[in-house]
Amino acid sequence: MTQFRFGLVHAPLTPFVDGKIDLETFEKVIEFHIQQGAEGLAVQTHTGESVSLPVAERKILLELAIKKAAGRVPVIAYVSEAGTSIAADLAIHAKKAGASALIASVPYYWTPPDSMLIEHFATIAQSAALPTYLYNSPHEMNNVKIKTPVVMSLIGTSPYIAGLIDVSMDWQFMIEVIADASRARSDFQLVAGTEYMVSAHATGATGFLAPTAIIAPQLMKHLYQHVCQEKYKEAHDLQVDAAFLYRLFDKYGVAGLKVGAKLMARDCGQARPPLPIMDGVVVDAIAHELTKVKALAIEKRGW
Amino acid sequence: MSLVLKGVMQSPITPLKDDFSPDLATFEKMVDFHVRTGATAISWPHHKGESHNLTIAERKALAEVAIKTVNKRVPISIHVSALAVEDTYELARHAQQTGADAIIAITPYFWKYPLESIYNHFVKLGTTFDMPLIAYNSPDYLDGVEFTAELTQRLLEKLPNLIGMKDASFNSERFFEILRVALPMRPDFAMIAGVEYLLPSVCLGGKGSYSSAGAICPNLVNNLFAACESGNWALARELQYKLSQLWHLFRDQYPSSLKGGMQIMGRNVGPTRAPLPTASPERIKHIENTLAALGILDSEPHGW
Repeated sequence: MTQFRFGLVHAPLTPFVDGKIDLETFEKVIEFHIQQGAEGLAVQTHTGESVSLPVAERKILLELAIKKAAGRVPVIAYVSEAGTSIAADLAIHAKKAGASALIASVPYYWTPPDSMLIEHFATIAQSAALPTYLYNSPHEMNNVKIKTPVVMSLIGTSPYIAGLIDVSMDWQFMIEVIADASRARSDFQLVAGTEYMVSAHATGATGFLAPTAIIAPQLMKHLYQHVCQEKYKEAHDLQVDAAFLYRLFDKYGVAGLKVGAKLMARDCGQARPPLPIMDGVVVDAIAHELTKVKALAIEKRGW
Repeated sequence: MSLVLKGVMQSPITPLKDDFSPDLATFEKMVDFHVRTGATAISWPHHKGESHNLTIAERKALAEVAIKTVNKRVPISIHVSALAVEDTYELARHAQQTGADAIIAITPYFWKYPLESIYNHFVKLGTTFDMPLIAYNSPDYLDGVEFTAELTQRLLEKLPNLIGMKDASFNSERFFEILRVALPMRPDFAMIAGVEYLLPSVCLGGKGSYSSAGAICPNLVNNLFAACESGNWALARELQYKLSQLWHLFRDQYPSSLKGGMQIMGRNVGPTRAPLPTASPERIKHIENTLAALGILDSEPHGW
């Protein structure tokens, strides 16, 4: 199959007005990421509040993102769901809509055995026949892990498994999975799902998913350029700032990330319930924390 | 406190006779082997040295052998953690009197306690014993008990002799967060990966590692550190992938597979004390096949 290269992918927010998806602002979000150096867009991941979007809205947002991107960068569809067949339907829609690749996490809520995880991923990948990235984020997913034998089994049977996105940041797993998988299939890609690009690239990651790119896209770009040239030690200060942003918005979540976006004059509204409305003290706290990020000096305000 | 940690440091296994008693003569050979094959420091007894399966008296006797054998060729630290904190103080006192260059201690075992208790424990250790202190962080084995960046910062403010941390989280976020607060306060502070995960740690600012595989393949671990130091990242990746395979081979029932593997290299160190199993002949054959596939049988020293 044609090999898809992940590169530096931004994860757009989903803007809301009065709780409804705000398509006009969403177009601005997409355009902003493309203008700011995204090599691809992941629509809609947890950063885009995927779990708070009914299937119909997810389809509308994906279609609009693809239309707006207009072939300038690939759009990768996040198709995770609790039920395998529902996720597979999203994958089929993504293919028809023109998505270039898929991201699939372990199912929500359930804690299936490895044999069912393999069936879940194989079904999704096969149904759309698109390059599919496995999303490993145990701390978000009931500690359900995508273990190396699961990856090895999948790449042995499905030509569409393109890589794994790691959010665990666990060196023992990352090195084991990329070493084993790339021996079995040299085009298998490890993608870092957090802003810790230095250690991830050193271990063999070649793709990066940047959840905080709405705040600091130039920081992400510069850090990405440094690690691609293996300038790990020179990237130290950039990594400090990127790690700070990761931890800040890991603490405050997507609702906090939207506060940050608004502080950068890119208002995407509040997050949907059950995420909390953030105002007053929290906004001040996030604004104060952002003053500590040196790299923000060069970032654009507004769209 | 001039001790600065750097490079691949070795924590020897503890050789046992067939009756499971400590084999002091072989222990001397083991310590000497590590020093001769490039260890930048020695530290004993880590869990790899079956610390929990030795009596306090045995730990003291073996520590004396280790310190005497190293004979100031490289720095030596003594791991003083024990189930009872009272024993930790006893071991630290002994280490100081016997001439150890540093002590290393993990967060106390078993109990659940607030961060403040970790702070108090390390402040007491670090102020009672006027010698370099290394903290040992192992959240996965201790049910999430760990040094946070903020706690490390407070300890650095209080303890001029806190020179480094052995970090067995093997996690980018945890490792880098502690480093981020520690380095501006103490530029010589050494973040040390618990075993030889040198590629992801050195590129973040880590100073080196302790070692799992050094008793089997010292050349491989030393070459990995040299590749990281010189920025030969492609070579470092190749060597790190090999060591990853070895770590996943050895970590199961650690250190019994490691001890089994040493037989293949002509360095017999005897059985492993219960409740850990001793490697079976089948397990040793499996280890031998892996070592052969990785090219280790031909590129590493055999015998002592």
